[in-house]
Amino acid sequence: MKKLSSLLLINLFLISSLFAQQNVEPKHFQQQIDCKTCHKCDVPTKDDPCLIACPRVKMLKTYPSPESSPSVLIIKKLEDRYNPVVFSHRIHAQMSELSGGCETCHHYNTLGPILSCNECHSIKRLRDDVRNPDLKGAYHQQCITCHRQWNHKADCISCHELKKNGNKINIQQKIAEIGNKLHPKVKEPTKIVFETNYNKGKLVTFYHNDHTKIFGLDCVSCHKNDNCIFCHDKKDEINYKTLIYDKPIKLNLAESERHKMCSDCHKTSDCNLCHKEDIAKPFNHGISTCWALNNFHKQLTCIKCHKKNKFIKLNNQCISCHKDWTEGKFNHKITGLILDENHTDLDCSDCHINMEFIKKPTCDNCHDEKSFPKDKPGKLIKKVKP
Amino acid sequence: MDRRNFLKAAAIACTAAIPAKDLKANEKFKIDEDRVGVLVDTTICIGCRNCEWACKKAHNLSTEPLEKYSNREVFENKRRPNNKALTVVNQFYNPKNSQLPIDVKVQCMHCDEPACVSACIVHAITKHKEGPVTWDSTMCIGCRYCMVACPFQIPAFEYDKALQPKIMKCDFCIDRQKEGKLPACVEICPTETLTFGKRKDLIEIARDRIKRKPNRYSNHILGEHEVGGTSWLYLAGQDFSKLDFPKLVSDPAPGVTESIQHGIFAYFIPPIALYALLGGIMWINKNKSGEE
Amino acid sequence: MDFLMKPTLLKDKKFFTPGVIILILLAINAIVFLAFRFFSGLGSMTNLNNQNPWGIWIAIDVASGVALAAGGFTSAALGHIIHKNEYEVILRPALLTAMLGYTFVALGVFIDLGRYYYIWHPLVMWNGSSPLFEVGICVIIYVTVLYIEFIPIVCERFIGKVKLIASLSFLNKPIDSLLRFLDRSLSKTMFIFIIAGVVLSTLHQSSLGTLMVIAGPKMHPLWQTPILPLLFLLSAIGVGFPMIIFESLIASRSFGLKAEMHVLSKLGRMVGPILGIYLAFKIGDMFIRGTFVYLTEINTQSIMFVIEMLVGVIVPLRMFFSEKVLNSKLLLFFASTLTVIGVMLNRINTFLVAYSPPYALKSYFPSVGEISVTVGFIAILVLIYRVIVMNLPVISLPDKKLVHKTKYEIIGGSK
Repeated sequence: MKKLSSLLLINLFLISSLFAQQNVEPKHFQQQIDCKTCHKCDVPTKDDPCLIACPRVKMLKTYPSPESSPSVLIIKKLEDRYNPVVFSHRIHAQMSELSGGCETCHHYNTLGPILSCNECHSIKRLRDDVRNPDLKGAYHQQCITCHRQWNHKADCISCHELKKNGNKINIQQKIAEIGNKLHPKVKEPTKIVFETNYNKGKLVTFYHNDHTKIFGLDCVSCHKNDNCIFCHDKKDEINYKTLIYDKPIKLNLAESERHKMCSDCHKTSDCNLCHKEDIAKPFNHGISTCWALNNFHKQLTCIKCHKKNKFIKLNNQCISCHKDWTEGKFNHKITGLILDENHTDLDCSDCHINMEFIKKPTCDNCHDEKSFPKDKPGKLIKKVKP
Repeated sequence: MDRRNFLKAAAIACTAAIPAKDLKANEKFKIDEDRVGVLVDTTICIGCRNCEWACKKAHNLSTEPLEKYSNREVFENKRRPNNKALTVVNQFYNPKNSQLPIDVKVQCMHCDEPACVSACIVHAITKHKEGPVTWDSTMCIGCRYCMVACPFQIPAFEYDKALQPKIMKCDFCIDRQKEGKLPACVEICPTETLTFGKRKDLIEIARDRIKRKPNRYSNHILGEHEVGGTSWLYLAGQDFSKLDFPKLVSDPAPGVTESIQHGIFAYFIPPIALYALLGGIMWINKNKSGEE
Repeated sequence: MDFLMKPTLLKDKKFFTPGVIILILLAINAIVFLAFRFFSGLGSMTNLNNQNPWGIWIAIDVASGVALAAGGFTSAALGHIIHKNEYEVILRPALLTAMLGYTFVALGVFIDLGRYYYIWHPLVMWNGSSPLFEVGICVIIYVTVLYIEFIPIVCERFIGKVKLIASLSFLNKPIDSLLRFLDRSLSKTMFIFIIAGVVLSTLHQSSLGTLMVIAGPKMHPLWQTPILPLLFLLSAIGVGFPMIIFESLIASRSFGLKAEMHVLSKLGRMVGPILGIYLAFKIGDMFIRGTFVYLTEINTQSIMFVIEMLVGVIVPLRMFFSEKVLNSKLLLFFASTLTVIGVMLNRINTFLVAYSPPYALKSYFPSVGEISVTVGFIAILVLIYRVIVMNLPVISLPDKKLVHKTKYEIIGGSK
């Protein structure tokens, strides 16, 4: 314990000296973090930072963009037996965007500079505090979990080249080879049709682009723990290359697992909400809710109106969202029609019966032979965004 | 036959009881609070089988080169430690993720109250207060009672040897430990699936891991209580019975055997009492028939 | 009875009969297999493995052997300690059976031990918590005691008759005086050994049961009980007299002698109650632990348990309570055989059938070699028995001469 805290103390000095040099990152205590996340006592000082031992229950995340991260790292702690491992960091960072992000590997990192692994993970295996794995263990735990799924092997040589007869690999060449590789842009399917065993509706249609574009979900909100294997499998390369989403696919998952993918958000007990006889149409606010969204509202993300992800019927009165559109304050110009002098002083309800703005306005109250939209109470202008 | 003869005989029988005290003293063996153990986290193990290789190397058993150990086909059958391999890794299907099979290393658990030590007819198996349970070649008579007793079915016997067959089981690399080294398997493990440390620390670490990742681990540290506690502890993502571990209670491994034994032989009083009783009956009947 | 019985050597009988020749062949067969065991290790000829470390050599040669040699201590208790003179005729045969039985138990252990040459280790390396140690030590002492008990029979035969071949004839005198010395000293101290024999038997017969208690969950619950030692002791006492009856009837038939039915049926009368107590404990234990539920499953264990209880305990129990059975040579022999088989089955069940270790790829079944050795050992046992009763005064025959008081009051009986 004592050793660990002293180690952390050294880290702190290292970090603080880094801050001093760079002076780019904001100082960590100026950020919006609860001090208790890392410090035990109320007033941590430089001499006694009273840090909570790693690994902590709660940690902070940093997400620098993968493009700004180092392209390769050379891992050479086992140089006596194996050649150094050239780790293509950047491409891994890109892949991690579909899973836990930087935190997948840089777990328990404080805000600020990313710490290298050996700051917390000891190089020695025979040690007193065995709470954290040693460096070798930590590296391998990070790499092999994915890699053994990817190529179904657990041997050393898939990452390490054996040092035989002094055949040293040319590190520079390796770096050049893989250093500049970038992960290609992930192709996003429009829709995926799932074939199910449910008799009263065999097909479940999932509109992927609706979820990302209209519903505004991030990749990680669904692809929480997808590592490389989600797309890549060395044994059978069915996944990202051959999987075409133009015909129904069957999922090889347990029922609860299958449902979980949707039911985390779509909490319903109505099977036919998802299970249909035919391929479903993409989401249409007008068809599904009888409230067709017009030009302005179409561009909004769902949560702009449906706060807190509650997709329930909202009050369709304008004023329920546009709080300042009260009588007299409302500028009709916003609708793209500037009222002429005769009409500016009228009450809203003179044309919009019962203040139902969704319905066509009427001219009957004053005019006998006029009707909207043939005749307009003003001048049409280019529509403006509210 | 007279009374004096009889008393003499009783006295002879009594002298036999003296060593009984030694036996009792032996039993009051105190185990070290800081004894060592190994925590095996089966959710980390990748089944590289390097431990199998390192174990054979450390115990001078014949082995293939390390490179051959990446062969996955051995997992098709479940293996057990035997006289040629003191530890083996078995692979199990993972219901949580079929791509990530569960690998489980098997070896002697180094019980705190080992059945083999209690059973061994000549005390050839010893529980060291530092943790390891080891076997002594100079004493063993090859009766294989330890194999009958072991609840984990670990000790193996060299059936193919006509002379000096050995009981083969993991010795926790006690010689390496004495040199200040780690057990061979712990040292080579690439992922530190095997964490070597004080048993009490390991239990704390294991509890912490379960608390931190309740989805990853089933809430059970195998070996914390089983058969009175073992030096090797296991963590897993599912029920241990699905990983071929025997279902065991928390009573010490020797069970009631020792109480029965010590009940019958409590300072040799019951045998001597029986002896005296039978002697008495004999004497009475003898006299009776003499009078007739 | 018109004539009093006197232990006599059956000198006038023919040694080689067809049966004896078969026994000799079986013995030779065993020795051939034993050569494999000693030159290429246990694995070469047994089906033992790391999951099933004990086979029939332990279950039959040792465990059943010890149980079936119980006739020695039960008859000693009856004849010497309770001092019923009428049973004297069976004392010597029972002693001989026990002596030979235990010798072969020791041999069975010897061949089964991986390091047979260290068989003496338990004498100097003690582990008081091990039931096996207790069994081992008791058997070693008991075998010695049995041999000591047998010495007077040898003395009776050879005192004054030691005649070695010419080249060794100078030893005749010292051996004779040694026999006389032994005879003199033993006649005063024999009671120590007799009581010791009974105590030792009680101890190790029960400890033999304790042996398998440590296997804990590896044992089938029908047999795994903390009172296993008591059950073993009770069944050993129960099988003692049936074994004497069994062996006495076979011997009398084989040598063409008249069976001692009056003694044997008296012995048989005592078997019933003992078996009853055993059965009561067995059933009671089963109900207290609730293990009878395992009888509803149909598997090897439950079937074997039912056979063991029905054939080995309940049927003979009923038979031994019937006057008709007690007075019929054939039925008495049948009932005794069933009891012997029952106890043997119990030992085999406890040590092999009930023992279902984890990770066993296949269940244990003895190899040809193991069976050959066990059968061969039994054959040798019978042969030696035959040799001894033909050369030493073991089996009692009616003595037509005037009966004189035998010299050895304990063995030979007084009056």
